Amino acid sequence: MIALTVNGTARQLDADPDMPLLWALRDLLDLTGTKYGCGIAVCGACTVHVDGVPTRACVTPLAAVAGRTVVTIEGLDPNGQHPVQRAWVEKQVPQCGYCQCGQIMQAAALLKDKPKPTDADIDAAMANNLCRCGTYERIRAAIHRAAELA
Amino acid sequence: MNAITMNRRGLFRASAAAAVALSIPVSLPARGQAARNGDALTAYLRIAQDGSITLITPVTEMGQGTHTAHVMLIADELGVPMSAVRTVRVGQPSEPMRRPPGEQSTGGSTGTRAWVVRLRTAAAQAREVLTEAAARRMNVPVAELKAEDGAIVHAASNRSVPIGSLVREAAALPLPEKPTLRPASELKIVGRSQPRIDIPAKVTGRAVFGMDFKVPGMLYACARLAPVYRAELDSFDRASVNGIKGIVDVVPLPRGVAVVAETAWAAIKGAETIAIRFKSTPHDTLDSAAFSERMIAALDQETRAVAKNEGDVDAVLRAAAKTVEAVYEVPYLAHACMETDNATAQVTNDGVTVWAPTQHQDWALAEAARAAGVDPSKVTIHTTLLGGGFGRRYAYEVVGQAVTVARAVNRPVKLFWRREDELAQGYYRPAQVARMRAALDAEGKLTGFWFRAAGPSTVAEFRPGAIQQNGLDPQHVASVADSRYRFGAFRADWVRVDGPPRNWIWRSVGASQNGFFLEGFLDEVAHAAGKDPYRFRRELLAHDARALKVLDLVAEKAGWGTPLPEGHARGIAYMESYGSLCAEVAEVSVGQDGVRVHRVVVVLDCGDIVNPDSVEAQLMGSVVQGLSATLGEAITLKNGAAEQRNFDTYPILRIDRAPKVEAHVIRSGQGWGGVGEPGVPPLAPAVANAIFAATGRRVRRLPLTAEGLGV
Repeated sequence: MIALTVNGTARQLDADPDMPLLWALRDLLDLTGTKYGCGIAVCGACTVHVDGVPTRACVTPLAAVAGRTVVTIEGLDPNGQHPVQRAWVEKQVPQCGYCQCGQIMQAAALLKDKPKPTDADIDAAMANNLCRCGTYERIRAAIHRAAELA
Repeated sequence: MNAITMNRRGLFRASAAAAVALSIPVSLPARGQAARNGDALTAYLRIAQDGSITLITPVTEMGQGTHTAHVMLIADELGVPMSAVRTVRVGQPSEPMRRPPGEQSTGGSTGTRAWVVRLRTAAAQAREVLTEAAARRMNVPVAELKAEDGAIVHAASNRSVPIGSLVREAAALPLPEKPTLRPASELKIVGRSQPRIDIPAKVTGRAVFGMDFKVPGMLYACARLAPVYRAELDSFDRASVNGIKGIVDVVPLPRGVAVVAETAWAAIKGAETIAIRFKSTPHDTLDSAAFSERMIAALDQETRAVAKNEGDVDAVLRAAAKTVEAVYEVPYLAHACMETDNATAQVTNDGVTVWAPTQHQDWALAEAARAAGVDPSKVTIHTTLLGGGFGRRYAYEVVGQAVTVARAVNRPVKLFWRREDELAQGYYRPAQVARMRAALDAEGKLTGFWFRAAGPSTVAEFRPGAIQQNGLDPQHVASVADSRYRFGAFRADWVRVDGPPRNWIWRSVGASQNGFFLEGFLDEVAHAAGKDPYRFRRELLAHDARALKVLDLVAEKAGWGTPLPEGHARGIAYMESYGSLCAEVAEVSVGQDGVRVHRVVVVLDCGDIVNPDSVEAQLMGSVVQGLSATLGEAITLKNGAAEQRNFDTYPILRIDRAPKVEAHVIRSGQGWGGVGEPGVPPLAPAVANAIFAATGRRVRRLPLTAEGLGV
């Protein structure tokens, strides 16, 4: 049994300790907003917060998050109204949308760290979150907008 | 929604439980091929007594925004708010859901334009019978009524009737065959940017992609496929995964196995661990360098695959004051959709149900029926959201695999591919080379042009019937043989060179490489003629006001010819594809850290538009995907297999290299052109031509990283 907190709820998971957090969230907790993209921490689609730090869930074994606090896209805001989510809708960022939960989690962590990021800050923080649809320009705009909304 | 039936006259009636509802058929003669085949393009609209409106949409939503565009068209024509219209998909392809050539699929940049008139006509039919019903009830002339805000309004008497309450009476009236569409002046939604209906669920994690869909009792199956293209399964050792908890079974597939488990993780672990052997192939030692030589050598072969042969191009080249010749080359490309391929299948005695992120429902259905050994009428295909499409999801192989495994284990199964297999199994934009020769007269006027491409066929496996009698795969001369440019004497032909990987359609298909070939080469010809590349293209398009406008606007918006910061330079390119004319100007610099693209100005004449914001988004995405391929993407072969197995070696563009994109749309009103693809082809040549302008170095091969110009 591995104990951790996910989106504010204490959880006990009966799972292989080497199971990546990504698959535990998706298959055991039915939190499918966190996506599989590469499995080697190079695309960012699986980004969640572990104790507030943006983390690639695909390479984070359950054993490493025992006793820790995990927040996924489903728990970022109880009503899905986090400033980043509101800005993402306002700027019409997603296309296919598959990478966007990871983008949003990465952006939310950036704004916590740097409430008024520059374009260079955004590029540095977001460079490891891939978007095949090419929504990058709107991601930049939405992060600036979220900074205003926060 | 499976209670829709069709009578012999092609009219549709809903016989669903909510007995009284107004079901409107749409059916207009389709263009070109469809008309010849006697096909029709159709979609359906349903209005319930509570006023809710259901659009049974024929298209797949993969981020291009077509579901939103469809709702806009319906809402505006009917006179209801967008929020009153919801979209559903039927689980069964049917004639009304098909478009030329008689298939239910979403591609070719047709998702909106193929359905505009049909959807508006359906909504106008509904509006007219609802208005007629209201006129009878209120005892006023139809001409005094207007459909507004979900009601039929009689302004003179200040009365209005909600449309839902008219459904019963309207359903009894005959549908007008030729309803009157609202004039442009009455349209309040179409042509104005509207928020996409699919976006709210995509920012909260609620959106259900193929990978996310679950059936109770479902098992997970992870494929492990042959690294060498087309290699067949030789043997595997089931015992090699015995130690992994949760594994249920290992099911052989034609080119590998599926490891079936209680969790996705156990299935992945099994797929990574299993001891497996594949049979040898004739191409076990082939690498990209050797294949490239084979394509280059083929440029000198005789060919029957001639698309165009006007004038005596050989004679014109011999007589020319000056000739220009160059050979260009592009690599295999992967779609690299963020969501890897997957399908969920359930097989029971009653039939087969599949949930898949598919762009082609008919092909997915046929494959499921084949794999299950049942009649296609026993198969239902549900389309989930797609985590990227770009042509890749016309593929149906994974559907067959999911059905095969579901049958073998007698449980519902979600079968998925790892990124490593996704990149290595083919389905590529084929590698290709082109040799071009141009003749210039003493005044620097282009008098002749010979375009010859060589390489693997895009459609030979994708759609074999598209190969012409003379052996030509039209994709390999697309947007060249049919260009608006006046080249003088003109020959366009192609030599087929088969290679090991399976080829497929990749965003903008043949135009994706032909843009680089033609527009890069024309830039060379312009310089050889001593002319400005923009003005040289104007000369070739002097007869065509529509194309000139596109070219002139991009030059104007980009400030063509105006000063730039030190080290920056501009390149221009123009190409027409999918019914739209597109020109781009890229502003680049080349420094220690490689090529930087600072700004791209795009001009698109797609005739008319539904949702301007979605058009801008598609153009931004086209530029980024085009630039990604230009800068760094290539699948290269070593020992018959892909060298790139994940995003660490297949580098799709990141935000820190994404340029500012400035999109301008010309609404020429000259037919509906595509939006999703035409922005891709001009990007690579615009960048390559800018690199030449900045450095004097002519780039004839992609990607730039392989030419020492990358990151």
